[in-house]
Amino acid sequence: MSKEAVLHLEGLSKSFGDKVALSNISFSVNQKEYVSLLGPSGSGKTTLLRTISGFETPQAGRVTLAGRDVTSAPAHDRGIGFVFQNFALFPHLSVFDNVAFGLRNRAQPVPESEVRSKVLEMIDLVGLQGLARRGTHQISGGQKQRVALARTLVTRPKLVLLDEPLGALDANLRQRMRTELRNIREQLDIPFLHVTGSETEALAMGDRLIVLDNGRIGQDGAPDEIYNRPASANVARFLNRYNVFDGAFEGDAFVTKYGSFPYASRVTGGESAYAIRYDRLAARPVGSAPGSNLAATYVTSEYLGSSLVHLFETADGKVVEVEHHLSNGPPDAYEAGHAYALTWKSEHGIAFG
Amino acid sequence: MTVANIAAPAKARVKTRAAKGLGVAGTYLLLAPAMVWMTLFLVVPMAMIVYVSFWTQSTFKIDSTLTLASWRTFFASDTYINSLWTTVRIWLIVLVTTFLVGYPTALYVGLFVKNKTLQTALLVVCVIPFWTSFLIRVLAWRPMLGKEGAINILLMKAHIISQPIEALLFTELSVVIGMTQIYVVFMVGPIAFMLGRIDPSIIEAARDLGADFWRILRKIIFPLSLPGVVVGAIFVSVMVLGEFATSAALSGRKVNLLGNIIVTQVGSLKWALASVVGVILTVIMGLVIAGLLRVVDLKKEL
Amino acid sequence: MESRVLKPILAVYLGLFLLFLYGPFLVLGILSFQQGPEGGPQFPITEWSIFWYQHILGLAPPSRVAPLPIGISLFRSLSLAFMTMITSTVLGVMSAQAFRRNFRGKTLAFYLIVLGMIVPGVLVGLGSALVATTTGIERHWWSTAFATHVVYTLPFAFLVMLAIFNRFDGSIEEAAWSLGASPVRTFRKVTFPLIFPGVLSAMLFAFTLSYDEFSRTLFSSGREQTLPLAIYGTFTVEIHPNVFAFGVLTTLFSFALLTVYAILMTLSVRRARRVAIQESIA
Repeated sequence: MSKEAVLHLEGLSKSFGDKVALSNISFSVNQKEYVSLLGPSGSGKTTLLRTISGFETPQAGRVTLAGRDVTSAPAHDRGIGFVFQNFALFPHLSVFDNVAFGLRNRAQPVPESEVRSKVLEMIDLVGLQGLARRGTHQISGGQKQRVALARTLVTRPKLVLLDEPLGALDANLRQRMRTELRNIREQLDIPFLHVTGSETEALAMGDRLIVLDNGRIGQDGAPDEIYNRPASANVARFLNRYNVFDGAFEGDAFVTKYGSFPYASRVTGGESAYAIRYDRLAARPVGSAPGSNLAATYVTSEYLGSSLVHLFETADGKVVEVEHHLSNGPPDAYEAGHAYALTWKSEHGIAFG
Repeated sequence: MTVANIAAPAKARVKTRAAKGLGVAGTYLLLAPAMVWMTLFLVVPMAMIVYVSFWTQSTFKIDSTLTLASWRTFFASDTYINSLWTTVRIWLIVLVTTFLVGYPTALYVGLFVKNKTLQTALLVVCVIPFWTSFLIRVLAWRPMLGKEGAINILLMKAHIISQPIEALLFTELSVVIGMTQIYVVFMVGPIAFMLGRIDPSIIEAARDLGADFWRILRKIIFPLSLPGVVVGAIFVSVMVLGEFATSAALSGRKVNLLGNIIVTQVGSLKWALASVVGVILTVIMGLVIAGLLRVVDLKKEL
Repeated sequence: MESRVLKPILAVYLGLFLLFLYGPFLVLGILSFQQGPEGGPQFPITEWSIFWYQHILGLAPPSRVAPLPIGISLFRSLSLAFMTMITSTVLGVMSAQAFRRNFRGKTLAFYLIVLGMIVPGVLVGLGSALVATTTGIERHWWSTAFATHVVYTLPFAFLVMLAIFNRFDGSIEEAAWSLGASPVRTFRKVTFPLIFPGVLSAMLFAFTLSYDEFSRTLFSSGREQTLPLAIYGTFTVEIHPNVFAFGVLTTLFSFALLTVYAILMTLSVRRARRVAIQESIA
């Protein structure tokens, strides 16, 4: 069990004309890792993937794969698999020929006798038994996804990049594929680098989560660590689980336009903001409870299955979300348009700046 | 976080960047043969025309001493000046006739025929003659227009006329008729295309507001079809200005276009004069195309 | 509303228009069955016969009507068209592939190529004749005429391929690279099969344009004539119905070409549809 990195990025920077897409990106991926890359659109995550795979050339920095510097190597010479968001299957080839393509067309093609057994084995692994002879237009979206996967994995790449692979699938399928992807990675022992714009997917999938913020690394760590201790206001925003307030430090206190908010964690540097997680808030009748107070009127609630999200609005129009996990007991009832006091414990507040 | 609309911009980006596998050098290498070919066999010949127009031409020889002699010969001669005006006149007439004849057809096919397959089928039917021999199409007008030609016979049989119309063949009229028929399809195509792109709800809205059809035609349909008219006009103009075969076949040498002059001068090896006419023709074409492109900003509309 | 009256009027107009377009052909066709060899190129038909078709094919007894110089000039036209088709399609595909990315001078290159279809044949022909005469190069159908034919047909092939590549999803090429296939191999195995319908169209365009080409060839083919030139030669002398018979045959030939093309296209279009479906998912 070697801890030597399979992929090593150092100071990677890429711009398109005036627009900076990636700025000084550095991280490594080990053999046994499933890394999720999270970021909103425009954060550079697809560009990063395309730079690693060789479809784009960086202006600066190095890409090292299993000890070999591939920064200037052409895409077809890197041995990095790429699963596209729109699948990019070869429409003029059958499922079998799609999967066999890499084996047949690489610099040293695999002899045809071996191709058959390898392809069929992989088709089994991804769950496409019986579909080998079908055309690419005769299978469903989920099946196309698996063909794209099989096609890449059969060539035993050193690293697999997945560009929003579950984006074109419906919610049910997405859930199932998440588990399957993890299983496949385990079985084949190839590191996966999985890009997504969905924070739920990112949190669920990886051993490790890298958050990309405007072309830079916002945070890099285990999902629960990032979830509980976001490293910046933007990371907190991308997680879609935090209410973020503007404000600034005055001495040791963090002051917002709603008053001074208490905090237990302080992150120095970067944008000044205050973050409190949705499920750490509670709404009480006005004047009934001590602790941090924020006045807001109740608007409506959203039912998410295992939890309820109540939407409140402050006097100046900011929407504050309060999440109640139903496993904690029945929810409180609120009246639309009525004022409530939102409270939370100071130990859950995070102040940035 | 919605992922659906992230797919669109990413895919669009991929389309323009896809040829990455080549590198910049590869791109120029791919383009080079075509560039060399066009330069050698198009640009150089065109430049030669300009150059040779200034050469000294004696009866049987030509040498590269520069002179304006051939230019003076051209502008001093009534025949040649006449051919210049004839060319411009015929061009304008044919431009107007192809427009007048072609527009109603394009209107019907592009606007009134709702079924897309039928539309394509009709356009194909209009275009098929284009795929047959140009010369045959020119030639085919002779038995139509002659004194004993089809038209005269039909008109006489229908007792519309008692004497055959002589003016149908071997006149300017016959040249115009022939050219209109041959080139009208280049008007119909682009106009029908632009008309087909008009959103029918715009016309509906105009009708609801009380406009009658002629008003809609003038104010909405025609302006929207204008890019197609311009494209068609450019095609027709280029072809008519460069014409000589139709006038040769149908006018019995009575109609002398600039193209005819070039052909006859080359036949007698009068290279310098032929080049003068060539330059004049190029200038006229350049002016016409530039003028037509002013009417509508094609890049924007298309 | 007026348009209810207008639609049938325009439909009738369309009928007249098609008559106008096809009328001369019909007359041509009818007159090709004129009695020969005394029958003239106008009405009335003194006697129906297929004499002139036999005359074209060289099967008629000798008469005062000279046979059309078809044989060898037909061969030349077909060969020239074939050479032009191959050359301009290859150049067109290469240039369109280059145009898939942005580069300096792209607009200039575009106009340079398209210029070939805009400049009328009489000018290009004059120019090439000038170059040939002043440099002492002999004019032949397989050299000078060939060069100008490609100048004329390349823009058409180029524009067709541009349109095809415009709709082409480049991500499958990237997928092929990521699987280890070199760019050359990717072009052979992935790109070319999918752009093939376009290549076929470009080839047909180029072949037909070259086969029928006349004004440029007049100046650049030297002494040996292609078929259109041979026909043109008969314009100035007395016309006989053999030209009409020839016209009918040549038209049928064009139709045959179009039919072959349509069949080949339908076979390839099935693949193109798969690409469209793939694109619509993403």
